[in-house]
Amino acid sequence: MFLRLALLVFLPAAVAAQQMDHSEHEMTVGTTGVVMNENRDTLPRGCTEVSRDHSFTIYAGREYADQQHGMMFGMSEHEVQVEPCSRVEITFVNEDGIRHQWMVHGLPKYLYPAGMFHIEAMGEQTQKGVFIVPPEDKTYLIHCDMAQHMEKGMRGQLVVGKGSGDLWSVPGISDDYYRFPYLSARSAYVAVFLALAGFLATFWLAGKRK
Amino acid sequence: MTSFLKKHGIWMLTLLVALLAFPPQWYPDPVRVKLTEWFGAASFRPLPASTAAQSIEPESFCPPDPSGWRDEQKIEGVQISASAPCVADNPYAVAAFVKGTNNVSEDTLLKSGLTADAVVKGRDLDGDGDPDEIHIRLEVAELNGGSSITREPVTSFDIAPGVSPGMWVFAPKFVGMAVENFESNVARYSLRLPSPAIRIEQGDQVYVTLENSHYMPHTLHLHGADHGFTDVSGEGNDGVPLTSEMPVLPGDARTYELTPRQSGTMYYHCHVQPHVHVQMGLQGLFIIEENRPNNTLQTMNIGAGLVRAPSVASVESYDREYDLHYLDLDKELSERIQKYNDPRLITQSMHRDYDITDASVDFFTLNGRSFPYTFRESLLVGAENERIKLRVVNGGSKGIALHTHGHKYTVTHRDGVPLPEAVQVPQDVVWLATSQRVDLSLELTNDGLRAYGPGIWLFHDHQNQGVTTDGIGPGGNISAIVYEEYLQDSGWPNTRGVSMDKYFTDAYYRREVPVWEDYAPGLFSQAGNDPVMFVRVILLALSLGILAALLLTALMRRRA
Repeated sequence: MFLRLALLVFLPAAVAAQQMDHSEHEMTVGTTGVVMNENRDTLPRGCTEVSRDHSFTIYAGREYADQQHGMMFGMSEHEVQVEPCSRVEITFVNEDGIRHQWMVHGLPKYLYPAGMFHIEAMGEQTQKGVFIVPPEDKTYLIHCDMAQHMEKGMRGQLVVGKGSGDLWSVPGISDDYYRFPYLSARSAYVAVFLALAGFLATFWLAGKRK
Repeated sequence: MTSFLKKHGIWMLTLLVALLAFPPQWYPDPVRVKLTEWFGAASFRPLPASTAAQSIEPESFCPPDPSGWRDEQKIEGVQISASAPCVADNPYAVAAFVKGTNNVSEDTLLKSGLTADAVVKGRDLDGDGDPDEIHIRLEVAELNGGSSITREPVTSFDIAPGVSPGMWVFAPKFVGMAVENFESNVARYSLRLPSPAIRIEQGDQVYVTLENSHYMPHTLHLHGADHGFTDVSGEGNDGVPLTSEMPVLPGDARTYELTPRQSGTMYYHCHVQPHVHVQMGLQGLFIIEENRPNNTLQTMNIGAGLVRAPSVASVESYDREYDLHYLDLDKELSERIQKYNDPRLITQSMHRDYDITDASVDFFTLNGRSFPYTFRESLLVGAENERIKLRVVNGGSKGIALHTHGHKYTVTHRDGVPLPEAVQVPQDVVWLATSQRVDLSLELTNDGLRAYGPGIWLFHDHQNQGVTTDGIGPGGNISAIVYEEYLQDSGWPNTRGVSMDKYFTDAYYRREVPVWEDYAPGLFSQAGNDPVMFVRVILLALSLGILAALLLTALMRRRA
């Protein structure tokens, strides 16, 4: 699971020229934000019809980090569950004074350039977008791709059908892959003391038995 | 006899092995002198052979420029000069910065990558043909940061091959992802060190909105630029939490205002825990140009460097203008954002555990990069008899001794204030204290004083640590003044010295490559290890261990 995720998000810089930035995407840019690769009608391969229509409203901002310790940004929903071949409408409400994004990765590239569907809302703006999910049971990464926003709480998962297992480090859903131990310096002394005490006690008891 | 051997044979044999294995060069000097008297010097044993040279697989010196960003061009009526070095700014962003992101076509805006409100230009208040209402937006980004799912630096920005210290920058407001593309972890070109140089005109009504997209509180302090302590609504406007206002919390935005009466090269930086935040990169050049008619300015210069659409005053007196931002970084501070992901832990580590009074700096950057990457994008390119203006800030924590080969330049302004003619004398070392700015006039006039003629002339901080990257040279802020005839079409200089291959490898800056190996293989290669010495040390260690165990057992047995 982690490997797949690592491959998805952290493939080392392919030769990708900076200059080709986003050029292949279908983009709608407005003053309230951006929707990239919207798809209302084209069915993914393996779908015969739109199975159903889902609609979600996702609120984003610092306020939604309060539910999770050690985070700074957040979303009202960190998991979105949909049926295979369904049409998903996302209303993304940004309550902060800065940009935020709701971005799905790993969608089929023949339909979604670079495999992504992306909603970006400017500060205090709402942005709506629609896309159709493929037929396979799969768990997709959702995140805000502003620097450090995913790491500091804006990470979620889109579960299509039964999904393919939880992703790591989704607030409220799954644990951190690299989890800090959260121990005080004093606990190290306690551990050393206990190891020593255990040794001495056993040594003493073993000697007595003889 | 057999019983004696049985009892004492093992330890005596082990002791013998230990004595024989003991390297003769470790014997005490009196013993060695005596042995020499008896037997003379030990016979010749060749020193170990050099290890075979590692194969060097350098990165490409000069990345390709498929869209022709380096070329001279005109976009939306904005004349954009050619940028000679390998890596140049996106000309569409330059055009949008000049016209205002509210005044360009959707196509240009898309190609620039900027948001429509990144730099908004309004009315011409003094009727002299250029807009005077300017609204600039800045975001805050972390480069080479930490994560709870990977150990690789996130949103990576290498200052040199394999060198990616954590840093924070102010960034222009762009649409979309923080990385180049979905399959990359490399920061997009708009997210980089240094924070962009900002250019406004004297008398402009300027609003700068700080959109704090980072997970820590920040402010904007306009160092040296004429601004009120409060804005028109009575809110604090100096960016100083101690005296002026609550800092901008993560996710919040705040607008600062100024209408500067004086021109000059100034500076902006965050003033929250400034001993850490300024050092982490939250600082940029803030340039106030003289008020002139039809003076539409390039409001931002991403990554500083060549000003591709210079001001009217600049064009009157100079052929080219470069913004130069020097900054040093402390590895022990930078790595703290990579060690933790929890903002509470990062804050504790940076603002309570870190002690700057015990700190020393390790990396030295010019316009966000260290050598050899400075040669890709920060060469000072010029032609004979040109006059070049350099606006320089030292954003680092130590002074810099800015030195030119082949030229003497003149300080025309210090901290944005013009100097009297009488003290404007040619110098080849200019001292800049921390946060100091100088305007330099560099004249490529071959008279033996101002210049010695065309060539590739090094340009660097003459303090010795400044030309290294964590103590490995050449590195640091080395750049060069390059005359056009010494430049290849690609933008790479036609140097005549040693091969630069090894400088374009991670291994070199990891201290793994002998510095002169390629000059004379063998002579300056990595010395190999001595196998005989290795065997001796192994045998010695093993026999001493056995002896110690025998001794301990004997003692225990005796007690029993």
